[in-house]
Amino acid sequence: MDFSFSSDQQLLKNSARAFLDEHCKPATVRLLWDDPRGESDTMWKEMAQLGWLGLALPETYGGSGLGMVETAILLEELGRAAYPGPYWPTVLAAGAIEAAGTDAQKKRWLAAIATGDARATLALLDADLDWDPAAMTTRAEKTAKGWALSGTKRFVPWAHVANVLLIPARTPEGPTVFLVDPATAGLTLAPVQGMDLATRWVHLAMDKVAVGPEALLGGPGQAAPLLAGLLRRGAVGAAAEMLGAARRCLDMAVGYAKVREQFGQPIGSFQAIRHKCSEMLLEVENSHSAVYYAAWALDAKAEDAELAASVAKAYVGDASRKVCGEAIQVHGGIGFTWEYDLHIYFKRAKALEPMYGDADYHREQIVRRVAS
Amino acid sequence: MNLNYAPEDREFRAATRRWLETNVPTQDLKTLDERKAWHRKLYEAGYVGMLWPREYGGWGATPMRQAIVQDEMARVSAPPPINGLGIGFIGPTIIVHGTEAQKQRYLKKMLTAEEIWCQLYSEPNAGSDLASLKTRAEDQGDHFLVNGQKIWTSSGPIADWGILLARTDPKVAKHRGISCVLLNMRQSGVEVRPLKQITGSSLFSEVFMTNARAEKSDLIGNVNQGWEIAQTTLGYERGSNSLGRVTRYATAFNQLVKATKELKRGGRPLIDDPAVRAKMGRIYADLEVQRYAALRVLSALQKSDSPGAASSITKLSYTEFEKRYYELALEILGPFGQLMVAREEFEEVDTSSGEPGTFATAFLWSRAGTIYSGSSEIQKNIIGERVLGLPKEVRADRLKA
Repeated sequence: MDFSFSSDQQLLKNSARAFLDEHCKPATVRLLWDDPRGESDTMWKEMAQLGWLGLALPETYGGSGLGMVETAILLEELGRAAYPGPYWPTVLAAGAIEAAGTDAQKKRWLAAIATGDARATLALLDADLDWDPAAMTTRAEKTAKGWALSGTKRFVPWAHVANVLLIPARTPEGPTVFLVDPATAGLTLAPVQGMDLATRWVHLAMDKVAVGPEALLGGPGQAAPLLAGLLRRGAVGAAAEMLGAARRCLDMAVGYAKVREQFGQPIGSFQAIRHKCSEMLLEVENSHSAVYYAAWALDAKAEDAELAASVAKAYVGDASRKVCGEAIQVHGGIGFTWEYDLHIYFKRAKALEPMYGDADYHREQIVRRVAS
Repeated sequence: MNLNYAPEDREFRAATRRWLETNVPTQDLKTLDERKAWHRKLYEAGYVGMLWPREYGGWGATPMRQAIVQDEMARVSAPPPINGLGIGFIGPTIIVHGTEAQKQRYLKKMLTAEEIWCQLYSEPNAGSDLASLKTRAEDQGDHFLVNGQKIWTSSGPIADWGILLARTDPKVAKHRGISCVLLNMRQSGVEVRPLKQITGSSLFSEVFMTNARAEKSDLIGNVNQGWEIAQTTLGYERGSNSLGRVTRYATAFNQLVKATKELKRGGRPLIDDPAVRAKMGRIYADLEVQRYAALRVLSALQKSDSPGAASSITKLSYTEFEKRYYELALEILGPFGQLMVAREEFEEVDTSSGEPGTFATAFLWSRAGTIYSGSSEIQKNIIGERVLGLPKEVRADRLKA
């Protein structure tokens, strides 16, 4: 048994930290706040060159064939940098295409994603914001030439820059996923902006959006396991990103507590501050255990992989909110200002909290597994 | 990262399970002699003193193996061995700092529980500030004359020997005038008075020493080196109970689930109440995180990365969790949660820190964990200073020193 990173995994972490420290500084994030796309194509291409976009894709498509642990290592670092861009939705969607796609679909998208020439995203939330795939309201009706999709999708991450959208819809056969070109007639994209200016969401309105039979990802009515898997994997990835944001906030709080003086002493010497920082570290370390256990369990197909994913999302969602919030408290007034960088990470953790199922949703999943 | 158990550890777990199935006593162990006999059986099977070096009668096993044994014992609610403090840290202290004569005299009988040991550290006015202890040991040539009072002594009434911290030089700074010596508990100058806890039972004692005698040959290390010895001894049992503890939590959780199916609110089982489900989900997520953290500690010990001050994080984590856990459990159980004598199956739990009993017993015991072995506040000081590198606080006693 070995809970620590292998030397390759540690190397990946170090190189991600070094790259993001240089190319994704707080100033970079701030510049992109005002950018209509909200992300940098240069950074995207560099990430592709580093092998990040194909990290978990098979070598046939230019990937490295690595697993969820490596992906989580990257996502933690991306969260630590509050990286603005469609990395996780693209990688998640690519995984789904790899798992369920036809050869033609894989050829069309996977290599393009690995080289940084394409971005993808997935629309997991419908009009009433229910994460349960069974509650889906978007419909797909069979037509002479294929299918017609109607309904509303909300909080679709980075859809405005995506080349392909994974859209789940209900068909008479059951839940089905379609690969849809965002420029298709009848599909309207409306950006929505939350408090984290480096996270972009889009609402999709679909009125009889016509797609051909080649748009089907997997068989009609067969998508329930695929959707459950996306939610599970998405939750672990989001937890890894929240962990990164929390660790950044902890580091900033501890650094500040060492130099900020009041009453003639560094405030970190006061137990009121030191104990708060120690509690924050406890939450960060427990979150680390939860994220990497869950990531490993997915890779190892462990029997408790689904449980662990829900545990990680529920625990880290609460923990990161607490840690990032307490970091503001340790900083005092300066932590509440726009020009101080703390709120960049505080807001990133908050933006991910409701995504891929919030803590309440995942706690309910846990109870269904262990108390039925 | 690989969180699979090694094949040989899986095999060891299966063998341990088989051994326990045939050997766990079917009836409660009532007398000390019965408990000693069970202890000896465990020792001879290789399940006690697992981390001790073989040359001192131990088994030279890995922390993982020991955690597996504790876990399997928790799974079947096997009675634990005795002499835990002796084997856990007094023995290792003697191994590291003791003389050859002390090792020959004390270690084997400690392992076999032929002699029971207790720890004489805390005093009524020296708790978190242990170094301010007042018990005196005066040099009488071949022995020390010991006078003073100790408190929170586990196994006091059954102890044959104690490891004592006492002041040997009152004139120097408080940390520098303390010595560590072994004290025979079976002498007229030592009086043990059981201390009744909030659980109603007496697992701790007060120990009064009036002109008690401790031999010079029983001094551990040098005179006035006691504080250093108490600080540097790491013990051999770190992480050993980590898996067993979580297994006990999980067993109690299953009983809680059973209770929520039998008890009703608004005409339907509690388990169908969303408020109860939210609490149960929170408890279980928390419980699983304790398990993952335990595996992480064991993996670090396996690679002999000493957790050092990081073990303060572990202790803080599970003791604070335990309070949250049993608070929520008692909220769910309602008045059933108040019972100190089990009447229904779902009320019985094996509390991880103290005596077996009901959820009420476990709830009361959970208040002890965040106080003993360094309170949560002390752990947070250690984490802040030694892990996060925050500046030391300005303390009145440091200003004087």
